[in-house]
Amino acid sequence: MTISASGLSHSSHLNAKVPAGRLQEKWDAYKNSVSLVSPANKRSHHILVVGSGLAGASAAATLAGLGYNVTCFCIQDSARRAHSIAAQGGINAAKNYPNDGDTVWRLFYDTIKGGDYRSREANVYRLAQVSNNIIDQAVAQGVPFAREYGGVLSNRSFGGAQVSRTFYARGQTGQQLLLGAYQALSHQIAAGRVTMLPRREMIDLVVDNGRTQGLITRNLITGELERYAGDAVLLCTGGYGNAYYLSTNAKNSNVTAAWRCYKRGAFFANPCYTQIHPTCIPVSGEYQSKLTLMSESLRNDGRVWVPKDPKDTRAPEIIPEDGRDYYLERRYPSFGNLVPRDVASRAAKKECDAGRGVGDTRLAVYLDFADSIRRLGEQTIRERYGNLFEMYERITGDNPYKTPMRIYPAVHYTMGGLWVDYELQSTVPGLFVLGEANFSDHGANRLGASALMQGLADGYFVIPYTLGAYLAGTRQSDQVPATNGAFAAVEDEAGTRIDRILNNDGDKSPIQFHRELGRLLWDHVGMARDRTGLESSIHAIENLREEFWERVRVPGTADRYNKNLEFAGRVADFIELGSLMARDALRREESCGGHFREEYQTPEGEAARNDEAFADVAAWEHTDGDPALHLEQLSFENVHLSKRSYK
Amino acid sequence: MIINLRIWRQEGPDSPGKLVDYTVHEASEHMSFLELLDVLNEQLLADGDDPVEFDSDCREGICGSCGLMVAGIAHGPRKRTAVCQLHMRSFKDGDTITVEPFRAHAFPVIRDLVVDRSAFDRIIAAHGYVSVTTGSAPDANAIPIPKDVADEAMDYAACIGCGACVAACPNGSASLFTAAKIAHLAQLPQGQVEASQRVMAMVDQMDAEGFGDCSNYAECEAVCPKGISIDGIAGMRRAYMKGVLSG
Amino acid sequence: MKLMNALLSPVGRKVLTGATGIGLVAFVIAHMIGNLTYLSPDVNAYNAYAYKLMSLGWLFYTIEILLALCFLLHAAVGISIRVRRRKARPVGYKFYKSAGTPGKSGYSARSMIFTGIILLGFLILHLNSFKYGPGVAEGYTVELAGIGEVRDLRRLMTEKFQEPLYAFGYPLVMILLGMHMRHGVWSALQSLGMMSRRLSPYLYTTAAILGILVAVGFLFVPLYIYFGV
Repeated sequence: MTISASGLSHSSHLNAKVPAGRLQEKWDAYKNSVSLVSPANKRSHHILVVGSGLAGASAAATLAGLGYNVTCFCIQDSARRAHSIAAQGGINAAKNYPNDGDTVWRLFYDTIKGGDYRSREANVYRLAQVSNNIIDQAVAQGVPFAREYGGVLSNRSFGGAQVSRTFYARGQTGQQLLLGAYQALSHQIAAGRVTMLPRREMIDLVVDNGRTQGLITRNLITGELERYAGDAVLLCTGGYGNAYYLSTNAKNSNVTAAWRCYKRGAFFANPCYTQIHPTCIPVSGEYQSKLTLMSESLRNDGRVWVPKDPKDTRAPEIIPEDGRDYYLERRYPSFGNLVPRDVASRAAKKECDAGRGVGDTRLAVYLDFADSIRRLGEQTIRERYGNLFEMYERITGDNPYKTPMRIYPAVHYTMGGLWVDYELQSTVPGLFVLGEANFSDHGANRLGASALMQGLADGYFVIPYTLGAYLAGTRQSDQVPATNGAFAAVEDEAGTRIDRILNNDGDKSPIQFHRELGRLLWDHVGMARDRTGLESSIHAIENLREEFWERVRVPGTADRYNKNLEFAGRVADFIELGSLMARDALRREESCGGHFREEYQTPEGEAARNDEAFADVAAWEHTDGDPALHLEQLSFENVHLSKRSYK
Repeated sequence: MIINLRIWRQEGPDSPGKLVDYTVHEASEHMSFLELLDVLNEQLLADGDDPVEFDSDCREGICGSCGLMVAGIAHGPRKRTAVCQLHMRSFKDGDTITVEPFRAHAFPVIRDLVVDRSAFDRIIAAHGYVSVTTGSAPDANAIPIPKDVADEAMDYAACIGCGACVAACPNGSASLFTAAKIAHLAQLPQGQVEASQRVMAMVDQMDAEGFGDCSNYAECEAVCPKGISIDGIAGMRRAYMKGVLSG
Repeated sequence: MKLMNALLSPVGRKVLTGATGIGLVAFVIAHMIGNLTYLSPDVNAYNAYAYKLMSLGWLFYTIEILLALCFLLHAAVGISIRVRRRKARPVGYKFYKSAGTPGKSGYSARSMIFTGIILLGFLILHLNSFKYGPGVAEGYTVELAGIGEVRDLRRLMTEKFQEPLYAFGYPLVMILLGMHMRHGVWSALQSLGMMSRRLSPYLYTTAAILGILVAVGFLFVPLYIYFGV
């Protein structure tokens, strides 16, 4: 099988609609000229927001505050539990409170560079511009960010940034920002402007008359399929990291809503860009259900090492200095332990592949705080990382004040997602995609503390403008009610798929399939990929897909709470997505950011980008046969494409 | 290790339930308690039985989805640990562990160990927020907040809304949950503007949901995975009285 | 009306229990100190104290009425909270274990309703034995210098506590009272919103010490009389 990019042209579909003008003025120019919806009309527009994480909750609250009629769905039992809640480290903004030279431009530049020049300049610049408003908004909501003794907000440097621009609330920044957004959402629920529907899973999108008409959800308690018609659908359903089965994502995080939209015509962009986070607690056994991340702020004071000799299995405390290889400090003298996530992750894999891994599984490296404890005292370390150390101890039973942590990379975030233009609109008119679910701002690699920023930027400050532009251009006559045949047909399809799963006389649980898929993806579409592995995985995934529909077994019925039924539907979609991830990784014959192709590396083993051929966004269109590729060429008018170097 | 489980099974909100005995032979001390249930469910699936339904999501102690009475204690015997981070090394080989859903009139059972905690969302919607709409915020540093005040606000804001406080309370009171939000916002200047309305509305909603009274047993504080202090409840009462007296 | 609603709210109910509880604690401490005058070298001290109390006139009756109100409200709200418990959790646990720390949620906290009911029963007996017990009409009189003939409560007390049932029953109940106060005192302060991060560690200890002091204070006189020291 060969898939090549040649012969494919810049599709007419892929107009990113980036406003003309200087980079710095594009967003203002857009806001100055965009059509507004009058207050009276806003009430008559019904907006369906899927997901209640940072992007969804902030969008739903903001739109309702503007006067739109909003219905918000979430898969958990409460909007407050969306997976944004688990983000630990912080949120970036170009406030420059520490006066250390930060500017909107620098935040933009760092994000573009961190993303290995695979994101759209205009989007990233806008993100950096609105970053400051997010902090203001959060503080006004009562988000208890860390403060200095003088009462002003505290900042820290994060993920190797050379300025301190990260705002944080202990190790629970995502939780606090989400609760802020959830409270804003609750305010609108109380005001009657948002209808909140928890325990709903979006299982299909209804498209008719060339535009989004609404969606079908499954009520996870009663099992009922429900139809919702609306003027627009905002998909805020997060990333697809759980395709790997083991990831730091929550158990319910899934790709189904996005995948169903893909199948209804939304292009899926850059699915091969996945982020592997370097500091996670290693797998302990087959029963492992998820992986736990520990904030990468740990690398500020922890030193990463492995024994020089693979046969050296002594306890870490007694291995002398000259028996240790501080490989990050050795290979990257200027950034040392603070190299970006993708670099740190691959370096750990390299050590373990060479047999120098530690622990029972030999799939771990040490993160050692002994030096910092000696230098700063245990008390200081406790103040900085106490909660993380406690968590590590709870999970592993080891005390990191006494013995080094064992860490290993794990799938954490997905930069790819549904393709959107500057207005966050997908290729299906009226379907907008926000937050991690879209592909737009992080390119091939996301910088630390930027996910929260993007989710909230999209929800609080971008969609309120761009949605209006779409609504102002729509006609009421193109809209169909939920009683329409278009809804009935999609609901029937969804029902049939559920029945097929339940009536299958199989013998394997959905989780068994999910584990197998995860292993395939981790081995072949994980931290390092190559042509042979990718091609074989595409075949293997296709076989797995067939086997799934022959052998999956789900007990119980559709008309009740049935977790295995939910999982089965999601696993089916993950399998299909896995294939697309492999295809995309195969097509991208270069290494960039989170995508590392063994064939494309420098003599020193670093990622080798190919800007001539691959400075693009690969957006895949679902067809009955192989997915069709569309390209959005990325043009860099403001930054010089340099090689990322952390030496 | 071998672990015996006595798990509450209940088909639906109105069906009767009962404790059913199971044994997991291949438990490991490195497993989390929820992973033990996963293993049990795989076993049940293989035998053609209905798996035990329970809520869980992040499995790292922050989303608040999981919540079980494990060995008679909300979230199990380990202090300041949600059941998803409770590991089997807290138990001994051969132990028999009773597992029941969080019980309260306001937390009706949906199925097995899954309960409906939407009453908490309604308490927050009653006024657990600052009424600020997007775009109207002043600069984040416009109002300095002393570090210890911000820290104390954060202590209360850490609540994950899991409902363990209600489950553990002999009276089924939601005071700790409600007070945590009130105390979080009451510390901060941003929250003080609506402090009186907030506390009155939230306390009334808590009552309307059918939660019990607080008898200051402090069981809630003991099981809270985030260690939220009942000092917050005293604060809630202070704020409430102030609200009543100031009209 | 608004105040009424507030008092019936979950916070209001606690404020009522707490405030009445504090009133009762004040009474109990005063009563205990009064009892201790029995031990005074001046054999007339106790009767003189009792007489002085009675001669307060309307003030005395006001305090009595207030105390009676406190008792009734305290008991009524306490019992209603207990009754609501079943409504708030109609299906109980098959297996439940307290996770509380002994300092806050030990026996004394769990047994408030029982110690409370016993105290209520005791109170009725106690009033019957002493307040409404034999007085001047029954010949329990004593001549106090400068005052004249007054009720000889000291004699009544001495006689009562020579009976084993009183001598041992009374201290037993006083230990229960100590337990009730050991939780009740900080619980009342908590209910009145007086606990805070800074104060609460001290107040927990204060409550425990106060509970013990009151129990011991009340133990003294009956045991002193019974063992005829």
